[in-house]
Amino acid sequence: MNDGPLIVQSDKTLLLEIDHPKAADCRRAIAPFAELERAPEHVHTYRVTPLGLWNARAAGHDAEQVVDALVTYSRYPVPHALLVDIADTMGRYGRLQLSKHPVHGLVLSTTDRPVLEEVLKSRKVAPLVGARLDPDTVIVHPSERGQIKQVLLKLGWPAEDYAGYVDGEAHPIELEQDGWTLRPYQQQAVEGFWHGGSGVVVLPCGAGKTLVGAAAMAEAKSTTLILVTNTVSARQWKHELVKRTSLTEDEIGEYSGTRKEIRPVTIATYQVMTTKRKGSYAHLELFDARNWGLVVYDEVHLLPAPVFKFTADLQARRRLGLTATLVREDGREGDVFSLIGPKRFDAPWKEIEAQGYIAPADCCEVRVTLTDSERLTYATAEPEERYRYCATTATKRRVVEALVKKHEKDQTLIIGQYIDQLDELGEVLNAPVIKGETSNAQREKLFEAFRNKEISVLVVSKVANFSIDLPEATVAIQVSGTFGSRQEEAQRLGRVLRPKADGHSAHFYSVVARDTVDQDFAAHRQRFLAEQGYAYRIIDADDVL
Amino acid sequence: MTSQQSEPRPANAAVPRTLAEELRARDDHSLADLLHARPDLLNPVPSDLTQLAARLSSRASTLRALERLDRFTLQTAEALAAAPDGCADTVVRNLLGGPARVKPHPAATPADRAAVASALPAAIATLRSQVLLWGPDSALRLVIAVREALAPTAANPGRTGLGPTLAEATLGMSPARIQQLIAGAGLPPTADPVTAVAALGKLLQDRKRCAALLAEAPAPALALLEKLVWGPPTGTVPDAARPVTVDEARSPVEWLLARGLLLPSSAGSVVIPRELALHLRGERSHRTVEPTPPAITPTLERDPQAVDNAAAGQAYTAVRTVEELLEAWGLQPPPTLRAGGLGVRDLKRAALILECTEPTASFWLELAYTSGLLAPDGETDERWAPTPAYDHWLQQATADRWSLLARSWLAATRVAGLTGTPDGKGKTRAPLGPELDRTLAPSVRRATLEALAGLPAGGVADAATLLPLLRWQRPLRGGPVGADGRDFRDHLVDWTLHEAELLGITGRGALGAPARALLDHADPATVLDPLLPQPLDHVILQPDLTAIAPGPLLTPLSQALALCADIESKGGATVYRFTTGSIRRALDAGRSAADLHSFLAQHSRTPVPQPLSYLIDDVARRHGVLRVGAASSYLRCDDPGLLAEVLADRRAVELRLRMLAPTVLASQAGPETLLSVLRSMGYAPAAESAEGDVLLTHPDSRRTPPRTAPTPVPDGPPEPDRVLLTAAVKAVRAGDRAATAVRRETVTGPAAHRPQSGPARSDLRQLPRTAAADTLAALQTAVLLGERMWIGYVNAEGLSSQRVIDPVKVEGGYVTAYDHLSDEVRTFALHRITGVAELADSAQ
Repeated sequence: MNDGPLIVQSDKTLLLEIDHPKAADCRRAIAPFAELERAPEHVHTYRVTPLGLWNARAAGHDAEQVVDALVTYSRYPVPHALLVDIADTMGRYGRLQLSKHPVHGLVLSTTDRPVLEEVLKSRKVAPLVGARLDPDTVIVHPSERGQIKQVLLKLGWPAEDYAGYVDGEAHPIELEQDGWTLRPYQQQAVEGFWHGGSGVVVLPCGAGKTLVGAAAMAEAKSTTLILVTNTVSARQWKHELVKRTSLTEDEIGEYSGTRKEIRPVTIATYQVMTTKRKGSYAHLELFDARNWGLVVYDEVHLLPAPVFKFTADLQARRRLGLTATLVREDGREGDVFSLIGPKRFDAPWKEIEAQGYIAPADCCEVRVTLTDSERLTYATAEPEERYRYCATTATKRRVVEALVKKHEKDQTLIIGQYIDQLDELGEVLNAPVIKGETSNAQREKLFEAFRNKEISVLVVSKVANFSIDLPEATVAIQVSGTFGSRQEEAQRLGRVLRPKADGHSAHFYSVVARDTVDQDFAAHRQRFLAEQGYAYRIIDADDVL
Repeated sequence: MTSQQSEPRPANAAVPRTLAEELRARDDHSLADLLHARPDLLNPVPSDLTQLAARLSSRASTLRALERLDRFTLQTAEALAAAPDGCADTVVRNLLGGPARVKPHPAATPADRAAVASALPAAIATLRSQVLLWGPDSALRLVIAVREALAPTAANPGRTGLGPTLAEATLGMSPARIQQLIAGAGLPPTADPVTAVAALGKLLQDRKRCAALLAEAPAPALALLEKLVWGPPTGTVPDAARPVTVDEARSPVEWLLARGLLLPSSAGSVVIPRELALHLRGERSHRTVEPTPPAITPTLERDPQAVDNAAAGQAYTAVRTVEELLEAWGLQPPPTLRAGGLGVRDLKRAALILECTEPTASFWLELAYTSGLLAPDGETDERWAPTPAYDHWLQQATADRWSLLARSWLAATRVAGLTGTPDGKGKTRAPLGPELDRTLAPSVRRATLEALAGLPAGGVADAATLLPLLRWQRPLRGGPVGADGRDFRDHLVDWTLHEAELLGITGRGALGAPARALLDHADPATVLDPLLPQPLDHVILQPDLTAIAPGPLLTPLSQALALCADIESKGGATVYRFTTGSIRRALDAGRSAADLHSFLAQHSRTPVPQPLSYLIDDVARRHGVLRVGAASSYLRCDDPGLLAEVLADRRAVELRLRMLAPTVLASQAGPETLLSVLRSMGYAPAAESAEGDVLLTHPDSRRTPPRTAPTPVPDGPPEPDRVLLTAAVKAVRAGDRAATAVRRETVTGPAAHRPQSGPARSDLRQLPRTAAADTLAALQTAVLLGERMWIGYVNAEGLSSQRVIDPVKVEGGYVTAYDHLSDEVRTFALHRITGVAELADSAQ
């Protein structure tokens, strides 16, 4: 038995005891091939998956290093079968290679002939390839570059893509680092991406993913297509690019439901890309509108299925994916790997927090006890109305009031799901409310006022879930949410994680009605954060009042 | 058939004349060794040495002993069988290693004469100690049954590939033809066929003269001999028996036939006489002689410490896996198939429980079964369930638990690797089913591990590396050969290596220290124990409602934890997750919230996270608030709000609830339905008894009645221990003294008793009477010496008669003999022979 910090489980999860003196070394050793699954206070859980192992191979690690890392740090003997399996899985990557042939264009070649024979037998591969040039090489239709990578990954023989990229239409872009510089991890992320050609950078919310995108553009110096989740986020990107780079407003176009601008740098929303008109995607021409040198995907974990399909046709362009997590609720991690690229960089949330780049947060669940009459009403409510009822009870209002009072010197956000509740809160607290019907101009104005501390309390609906930037919010109070969405919880916490000028810690309150479905949903939402290392305290409403 | 008569008898009086005499001359220790090596002789204990000698000569016992010889000892015995009886050890040495000045045949593997010379004494000693051979080094004599089993004949050339001797091949040939043959070979005519054959034999054995004779042969004839030289020694030719003379010879075959260089073995085939084949071979009995076992070199050498650690880790996993399987089966015992064994679906389920493949699951099942921890319960609706021995096993330390598994596995004749393969009728063999016993398995398993143990510590070897050695050690114990050309032993070695890795006998392919102790019959537990992770008394509680046991836990702790949390992942550590359901389960089992709090606080290395305390309190607060009665199926609650909630819930419609009072609901559904529906609705109701007490629920774990482990099917009698051996030797000695105290002439052939014609109705007392063992010994001697015997015989109708017979063969309980009474060759059942006597004028 050696005294390592790592325990290898039979289901291929790795448990890392983080209080152990060798924990940091061990984390560095296993990070290239294992995905961090949960990071609660004492023991972190990593998972070894084929994708993770192939990511490691793509980053230049070999099976020997992986086995060595496990054997060196494992407290108990590592099952032999697991080591064999790892070597076997890693050995599968790169047996097949896509490359450019001077005469025949794109070809698939192999270092191991039986593998090529095996995949060529597959009915899914057959329509994607052309003539056999020699026993080890076969022509691939250039348009099927993405398809074949997807199919080969599914067959368990991921191909390494050496076919290179087109340069795209050149466009000068420079970072303007006046008064700020790229953080070291952002620099590493950009280098990792650029060196690998295409791929995904994993950074927690608030860690400056936009800047990584901007730096990548400055590296590419070519026309760029940026795909983001929604319009607010698109504006945010534009704002940030103008501020941080040599690009001017005129060079950046927005392609959304309301505007259809195509400029050297164009920001489009997923929604407009997936809009169908008369059964066909109406805005596909955007992909061919310019000779894009770089395509940036924001929030890769939310990438809608049709966008994967378009992406398959963009394999000759450099692609950069940005995300907080590689875990997709729909399980399409494989498509991210084959179509956008392997993971090029990641850093865990807590580590960046420790470096002071994101604010430490104090998460608190405030339990509100319903009055007897409220309980009776709740009990007899129709099931579909129940959540709404318990999430918007009057008792919660008093708690929110008390919390706002407690943090009256801080910039406070109140986030909720139900407009009635928000309006009511806005009235009681005398604070402006931003909801779906609020015009964009009005929103910008209120955000600006909040930034300038002209107003200290802002009530927002779920329109603010994604990508709005409120730098000085230090307190967030969540009164209701979209049932049990873990994604939403993480995004909302992200609102208060931007580093604070005075180094204050942020506060995140979740007000929950006791013994109701509200509490169950809250527990589900919090699981993601607990796994990310945010310990929730639970306090009674009485302690606040 | 051998030519016994032509061999000179040893003249020296000190040399024992018979096998029984030789045995009598041995000391007790040597006899005990014999009985130890051949325990089948002990069953029943022979009454005296004559009987022991007779039993030693039985074919079955001899074959059993031969099967257990290593390749060189066997080759020694084969060389002896090809040589004349009573030859010296130098003759055998030359046959095996080749005479020094004779050039070996080009196809023969060069033999290391020195190695042969140094290995031979040990091989002869082995044969002698097992009494497959007797007599001094100067006159080695094979036991008859051994010679019969190994002597090359035309039909059965054996592994030497030699044919019959000239004398044997010419048996039954007309004297005129024999004279033709020696004339063909250029020898002068002789007076009788015996001297003629002897003269021809001498010619073939004389290297110079034989070479001269062959020098005259045409090339095609030599090529023909070349084909037969290493065996098989027979070739098919039309009309082989026709008497061809030198002048008539046209074809190469005829050229050889005319000179006695080929002899007819049947109407359609010819055989090369042994003397000629040996001449052509360069006087060697085997093409390849292997005096030493093939050396095995490890394919890889690992750090022995790492190997022991890996093996110990796997040993721990093995113990846990068996426990996990049996815990699951204790709660849900699967049915046995009508034909015995386990159904496919239940095997799949077991594989799912253990998170392994089905063949691996079969292995664990068989392991639990052979260790006596699992058995059919014997009920009418028969199921597989853990035995009471399992409960005892659970109480033991991990190392002791592993020892039981490892020992049972090593000795088991059941072969898990056979499950899933088709049997003779094409049906798939089910795990735990019948027909999985193979007597070969334990010896191959041990031999494989011992071969591994022979490597330096940390040495890894695969089946391909080990097999040559195993084949050398037991060339005749390969088992049936399959369609793929691999024999059963090949498969057994594969399975053994695979299973050894699963069980922690080996770690990363090399033998671990505990397994070495196991092989040395020492206690593996004492070696294993320090290698195992020490059980912990604490866990790490985390705010995400998990508890992590960073190693094995003390049994009471792990049981308590398994009650109040669900296991999420296993391995070196165990991850538990607390959920509303798991806490409720603990409360249902009678724990209180305060119990749980103090239990967690006591065993957690870290402070109990707040969310966990809240979870317990939340569940406890709601637990048991709703109470359900079995008698009247009511639902009562002190809280009208909650009851109203239940009553209003649409999902409760099927319960047909009616409000009796603000705090009591009645249901038309039975209490069980009521409980489950309420739980599915997310409530935590508690059942209550007629007195209003809360009913506690305990999962019932199933056990069989007391069961013993299946005894391995022995492939022979059990290995006798020293005490038995000493007692047996004493008994044999005593019996022998009694038998030999009286003079051997107790049943002398009375001269007055002349063979009568026709079945005699005389009194049985007039028949010769001897003990069964003496009868057998006397008849065997008679066969050897070609003597005529007088016997008393009782036929199937019970009529007794006296006959004079010339015994030819004694085998399988029958004597084949020429019967002077009926003037024909017939067989007599040994047990019907009342006794034997020598005829007064037996020399005649």
